[in-house]
Amino acid sequence: MKPVPFDYVAPRTVRQAVEALGDPSREARVLAGGQSLIMEMRLRRATPRLVVDINRVGGLGRLTVSAQGTGGAQETGAHGTGGVLEVGALVRHAAFERPGAVPGPLGRLFALAAAEIAHPPIRARGTMAGSLAWAHPASEWCALAVALDAVLVLDAVDGARAVAARDFFLGPHLTAREARELLTLVRFPLLADGTGVAFAEHRRTCFSFAQVAVAAAVTLRDGVVEDARIGLANCADRPVRARLAERSLIGAEIGPPGARPAAGHPFARAGAVAAERDAGPVPEPYADPDYRRHVAAVLVRRALREAAADAERRPEGVDR
Amino acid sequence: MEGWSRREDERLLGGRGRYVADIAVPGCLDAVFVRSPIAHGLLREVRCDAAREVAGVSGAWSAADLSDLPSCAPSTAYLRDLPPVPYTGVARLSTKDAVAGREWPSLARDRVRYAGEAVAVVVGDDRYAAEDGAGLVTCRIDPLPAVVTPAESATDEVRLYDGLGNVAFQAAAGRPIEDHVWRRAAVVVEAAYRQQLLMPTPMECRTILAVPGDDRLTVWAGHQMPHRLRRELAATLGWPADRIRVVVPDTGGAFGSKSPTFPEFVVVAFLAVKLGRPVRWIEDRMESLLAATRGRGQDQRVRLAADAEGRLLAYELRIDADVGAYPHLAVGLPLQTALMATGPYLTPEVHATVRSMLTTTMVTYPYRGAGRPEATIALERTMDTLAHRLGIDPAELRRRNFIPPDAFPYTTPTGRCYDSGDYAAALDLALRTAGYDDWKAERERRRADPGALPLGIGVSCYVERSGGEPGALHEFAAVEAREDGSILATCGASATGQSHETTFAALVAESLGVDERRVLLVEGDTEELPEGVGSFASRSAQVAGGALKQACDLLVAAARERAAGLWELPVEEVAWSDGALHPARGASAAMGLAELVKVTGPLRVDGRFESGMAFPFGAHVAVAEVDPELGTVNVLRVVAVDDCGVALNPAAVRGQALGSAVQGIGQALYEGIPYDGDGVPMLPWGLLDYLIPTAAEVPPITIAETSTPSPVTPLGAKGAGESGCIGTPAAIVNAVADALRLDDPGLLQTPLTPDVVWRAAHTRRQEAPR
Repeated sequence: MKPVPFDYVAPRTVRQAVEALGDPSREARVLAGGQSLIMEMRLRRATPRLVVDINRVGGLGRLTVSAQGTGGAQETGAHGTGGVLEVGALVRHAAFERPGAVPGPLGRLFALAAAEIAHPPIRARGTMAGSLAWAHPASEWCALAVALDAVLVLDAVDGARAVAARDFFLGPHLTAREARELLTLVRFPLLADGTGVAFAEHRRTCFSFAQVAVAAAVTLRDGVVEDARIGLANCADRPVRARLAERSLIGAEIGPPGARPAAGHPFARAGAVAAERDAGPVPEPYADPDYRRHVAAVLVRRALREAAADAERRPEGVDR
Repeated sequence: MEGWSRREDERLLGGRGRYVADIAVPGCLDAVFVRSPIAHGLLREVRCDAAREVAGVSGAWSAADLSDLPSCAPSTAYLRDLPPVPYTGVARLSTKDAVAGREWPSLARDRVRYAGEAVAVVVGDDRYAAEDGAGLVTCRIDPLPAVVTPAESATDEVRLYDGLGNVAFQAAAGRPIEDHVWRRAAVVVEAAYRQQLLMPTPMECRTILAVPGDDRLTVWAGHQMPHRLRRELAATLGWPADRIRVVVPDTGGAFGSKSPTFPEFVVVAFLAVKLGRPVRWIEDRMESLLAATRGRGQDQRVRLAADAEGRLLAYELRIDADVGAYPHLAVGLPLQTALMATGPYLTPEVHATVRSMLTTTMVTYPYRGAGRPEATIALERTMDTLAHRLGIDPAELRRRNFIPPDAFPYTTPTGRCYDSGDYAAALDLALRTAGYDDWKAERERRRADPGALPLGIGVSCYVERSGGEPGALHEFAAVEAREDGSILATCGASATGQSHETTFAALVAESLGVDERRVLLVEGDTEELPEGVGSFASRSAQVAGGALKQACDLLVAAARERAAGLWELPVEEVAWSDGALHPARGASAAMGLAELVKVTGPLRVDGRFESGMAFPFGAHVAVAEVDPELGTVNVLRVVAVDDCGVALNPAAVRGQALGSAVQGIGQALYEGIPYDGDGVPMLPWGLLDYLIPTAAEVPPITIAETSTPSPVTPLGAKGAGESGCIGTPAAIVNAVADALRLDDPGLLQTPLTPDVVWRAAHTRRQEAPR
């Protein structure tokens, strides 16, 4: 650890935190789980003059479900139940590993995704909000946020604003958050009972970032896809919601459960659409764009198949 | 001896180890090196003035500021007593010819030749201040084209040294093979392999602390060869060696990478003397990934000929090695691969050639295995392809060709004299332990089931060399009996994690017949022992162990002489047993060593021991399933059977076998250094980019052993430390090739990252979706 000299404050309230962040001369950075900031400071890639440690700020560790969100731009629809999950800025990745920490299909999906995040020590420290704010293109949470219409609440001295995930991510480590703002809360609409979910990740070792990861949530009625959500991680310079692939699925018949999807199957087609049209992978060592598109197609197909199987295991009203 | 717990464990596992960075010296300065971001270019200017203004910085220099800074010297340049041997390059690792006209400045002087080469050094009151200063050093470099691969280097279109070609060393082993041999053969397999550059990745990177005082210099360093470091630093500074003391405290791994004198070491020692203050350099991981020596680095082309029954007729291996920017440390290392090209087989004709090419990358140097993995992988991958083409079971093909146990000592066509071996016994044990027939049945079952992931079995048999090369097959040891009953043993070996404190203390105790707890082992301090060689080439048990055993025998002989004098008996009437002297007649009672010392004065013996070269061997089996759609390799089982002769400490040997097998898996599947178009390594996040296997990736590994004692060393011990790095990689690659039923061995180049495996599978067939 060889950072440049920096000051450190540990505010107790959001107000104190955003006041500290609001001083433009300090180049302040927020410390929550420290899994990215400490690494960047160690390498002197981040050279903040002030570190604002929010770990003692009250109320940010809450993981709650409310019947209806308290504002923001969340969408409802076939997916929504009206219920909203609220994730405070200090909720660690590990919190989502516990079955039942979040109700229903959203909880199952989060548990699947959380298990793919690095190693247990990292999951015990790192936070969901921290991942969103760091905006690594391979982040599991970022892909989930865009796929599931999360809303991010940013607090500043002059008040809070809510930004939809689709407007939040602007590029690698680049977001709509201003330096003076603190990401205090993330809202996810709960997924309706009966939604089938799956998370598929491809990475070289447990320690490394995803080469590609796919989150899928599907709603079926009588073997027909009624709604689908697909999020792609590391398929572009930012998280991608595979809208064209989703659209290709609506109304599609998926056939009998358990059958191997043939080349023309809607899931395979959606995979191809996601890979060729939704994804825009950039080159990286050991995963050139051709390979990453191929992997995206395979993972989307596999995730959809698993999500459909999940849905069929849990018909509406029997969830959990 | 089974079941020892290690003496080191309480300290090392309890967090009480003392590494160089833990040594507190008042007034110590921390050094930080400013490194070239460019792989190759003309260094026009380095500006250090801003750095000198930083609070806490006590100095900042480029080469231009330090006209009397010594250059780096070639490996073993100061070893004058090396005998002439047929292949001097492999003993010294470098040659006069290779370094002639090629200077290696300790700080780049007017040209940089690899990204990460040090262009300036900043020292400060602490690391923070020095880093602050280093951040303000600027340099201007006019870029030249980078030369990263041997093929690019061979063209000599871009030369690293004006007026000199890029081929710095050439050698051959064996005799050229006549064309008719190939023409007459029933099958000839040709293939090309890339042995990628690897990082040794010890947990602790390089370290040095130089403390001047009283016209002397005490150097603390994590190091495998403290006496060599002393000799080389003394020569660089122009000092007699006895003014330098090198001490190796606890060291967090080396894997071959910590035996030379690095440019940074020269700079630190020089500055400590110049400033009259302690200076230390603690390399961090990012620096290490950029500027530490790397291993392997060979482009290979092979030809293997056999008759219709699979009897090998001829084998040819052509090596173009990328040895990095400076030929000083290990330009001759690839010759080790050529010498070991024969492997465990009775091939009548073997010819191996080496060209060592200079490239604009950090220097290639021994990394665990050091030349033998490259030989084994080339041969064993080709053997599997040959088995495929002939329709012979790969294990059976090997059995038909093994050098038989009664053929030893056996001189190979490449000039090695193998001491002993029973290669079929190791293979049979490996196959039995793995359950070869059951896995074969499972493989066939899956081949019939289109929904199943394909599974493959890979075999790899190897012979390696331990102890060192002629000229460096000796070691020094001393044993002292003390009045308090303790035995102080010391030797020239230098442990960096190999359990010497446990193993050697037990060896001495057993040799003398005394309680193990009475034995204290001291290593890695040039003050304790005037001469020493070190720990490398899997030599410690075999060579240093032999030296300690010999010293114990000398101690017993000296004790008997003394007792004989005391008791006025002829020496043959003084018996030695259970750590005590017994008179054959007369009234005197038996006497322990402590009492003898009390009566007759201090008793210490020093000895130099010369070992022969030993050739450990083994057979590794890997079972892997492959997801051809994604290219993912899932290793289900690894069995490593190694024969290191007599194991002094079976638990320590198994620990080493396991660790090296994991590193072998790393080479096969994960590790590699990608270079960008400008020849700069693309490892922006360190070990998040250079992936090594973690506990989560390690498959079930079963270690088993056969034991064929070596006749060339009194303990019968051969080297054990490098087995997995040598045997495991080809087993893994062969398993993947078997799963995918690949006939073209060139499709799978390590590391077998998913994209590589996917492309190989894709070339073979279009997978049906699952």
